[in-house]
Amino acid sequence: MKDSYLGQAWLVLSLALVFGAALAGVQAGLSGRIADNKLNETYDQIPYLLDLIDDDGNVTVEITVKIWRTPDDKLAYQAVDPNGQAVGWVIKGVGPGFQDRIELLIGLDPEAETITGLFVLDQKETPALGNRILEDWFREQFVGKDATKGVVVTRASPVAADNEVGAISGATISSLAVGDIVNAAVKDFRARKGDLELKD
Amino acid sequence: MANDGPAPLERFLNGILPENPVYRQLLGMCPTLAVTGNMKAAMTMSAAVMFVMICANLITSSIRHLLKPHLRILVFVLTIATFVTIADRVLAAYLYQMSKELGPYIPLIIVNCIIICRCEVCASRQGLGAAAFDAVGQSIGFALALASIATVREILGAGTWFGITLLSESWWPVWGIMVLPPGAFITLGFLLGGVNWLSMPRGKKSAGCGVR
Amino acid sequence: MELVSQLVLIAVSAAIINNFVLHYFVGICPFLGVSRRVDMAFGMGCAVTFVISVAALLSWLCTEYILRPGAPLTSWLTGNPEADLSILNYIVYIFVIASSVQLVEMYLRKFFPPLYKSFGVFLPLITTNCAILFACLEIMKHVSIGAGAGAWGGGGGEKWGLAAAMVLAIAGGVGFTIAIVIMAGIREDLDHCDVPKPLQGAGITLLVAGILALAFMGFSGVDSNLKKAISPQDPPAATATTPGDPTEGDPSP
Repeated sequence: MKDSYLGQAWLVLSLALVFGAALAGVQAGLSGRIADNKLNETYDQIPYLLDLIDDDGNVTVEITVKIWRTPDDKLAYQAVDPNGQAVGWVIKGVGPGFQDRIELLIGLDPEAETITGLFVLDQKETPALGNRILEDWFREQFVGKDATKGVVVTRASPVAADNEVGAISGATISSLAVGDIVNAAVKDFRARKGDLELKD
Repeated sequence: MANDGPAPLERFLNGILPENPVYRQLLGMCPTLAVTGNMKAAMTMSAAVMFVMICANLITSSIRHLLKPHLRILVFVLTIATFVTIADRVLAAYLYQMSKELGPYIPLIIVNCIIICRCEVCASRQGLGAAAFDAVGQSIGFALALASIATVREILGAGTWFGITLLSESWWPVWGIMVLPPGAFITLGFLLGGVNWLSMPRGKKSAGCGVR
Repeated sequence: MELVSQLVLIAVSAAIINNFVLHYFVGICPFLGVSRRVDMAFGMGCAVTFVISVAALLSWLCTEYILRPGAPLTSWLTGNPEADLSILNYIVYIFVIASSVQLVEMYLRKFFPPLYKSFGVFLPLITTNCAILFACLEIMKHVSIGAGAGAWGGGGGEKWGLAAAMVLAIAGGVGFTIAIVIMAGIREDLDHCDVPKPLQGAGITLLVAGILALAFMGFSGVDSNLKKAISPQDPPAATATTPGDPTEGDPSP
């Protein structure tokens, strides 16, 4: 009985071994690179989000990044200049947009009182309408807004109050979604800043 | 088992039009519709399918004498799943943005009927040469089909082709709908109709007109 | 309460807004092939929903306890708290799907022969239905990698538990059934239409599917408003000051 099972299955078993070895090799060779890609996606944006880029596109302050985390695994990236002075925070915010989830990176000053930048990490909004949240003019409206009060996305034009951001015409839901995600993430971060501990 | 199927070259040419996987066999519809919003994504997808199909066909063909009939599907699936995992990791390591854009559609190659179908129809019956030519032919056919759909959708939907602007936004109101799901269905529907119309026997058609 | 609102959002999103067939294009093959008669289409839809739930349960268990980085069973066995078997994900899922199809088939044959008779023809086909692997992959994304991991503000960044995974699977199956039954109804009527010869068969089905997808696009944005409606604890500051129709226009030419 056993012989007949083995006789039938030896090919599958040996193929599984060979494929397993191949996959282990791929994992060993590439996992470091994939992990770097994931980190760099955020790291590469930090100078832009904290306004450390001059008009020629050069980085004005060399920064190192410290990663902080809360006990429930929310991450905050703190940029530190060579003198050990904190330059600012970068946090991630996620929420539902018009089509699918929107992932944002938000730059904040060291005290988390002013928004210094906004970057759209991932979105699948309607092309030519909702995905105009990627455009510079829309994102730059958030820069300099008071993080303690939160932003208000409005369809009125021109915007009246200090903390107002003009919505994209034809894409109000996407614009509102971005505003909601920013507000929720900043509020959460400001409330939980005390829980942060340095990772590694 | 002798080589009793079509010759390698015939296998190769068959894949491109007479047995085109998308337009003729209606296989692999999921990536055909999902990743043809722009040329870059469509070509990356075709390359991944080509890699998996060639590897799976070669392995199946080289072990075809050892296969037990009732275990063959299991072996095919194991082989395909392994190579899809490899393709997925390589993309994530070297083309990270593209791998994010393609998302679940790379692992969904595993259940893409084209590859299992080629393993079953060709590679498990014929030698290495025929299997390799078959895989290349079929995947070129698949790539051409994807390219035709992606060309229409990207040019009409974004005014670009491979990211190069062809239709300036100043006079072309981009048809955003073309890069959305409905555009995919409608484009493929019309292209399929077009291919069928082109390959309809001509004589019959003129006879139909002549009745009036 | 938070869990309930998360589940409602997942269900509405999977079944209607981001319909498996009309938005993600998974399960297109039976959609084009099988959907000729309403009763057959409904049978296929039920079979898929059934298998999708079993496969989702099994793949959630595998992902949570064995495959994800730092999974408890793997860490305990290897003694390495960061053990990561996620490279085996796809292989495990496809075998989980194949075996759940077998399992469902045997179970039905033994205990529900009439049901088995009506599902029977569709069951083997389901193994290569992308909708099921897609559901497993979505669950993987939210359990293993934790989509939006490390995000603030609690906007969908949280890891999914078993309940969320099951709701996604069942709602996805229901969405598949809705799409395939609507399509079958339309195709029954199409039989009486004079369709141009080159478009007969798959061509006209795809065109009709395009129009259906257009109709389903009308549901987009429902989830973000639904979220506000069911979680009213603190109204976010970012509300439009101008009232009126806030929907994004249909971008058709």
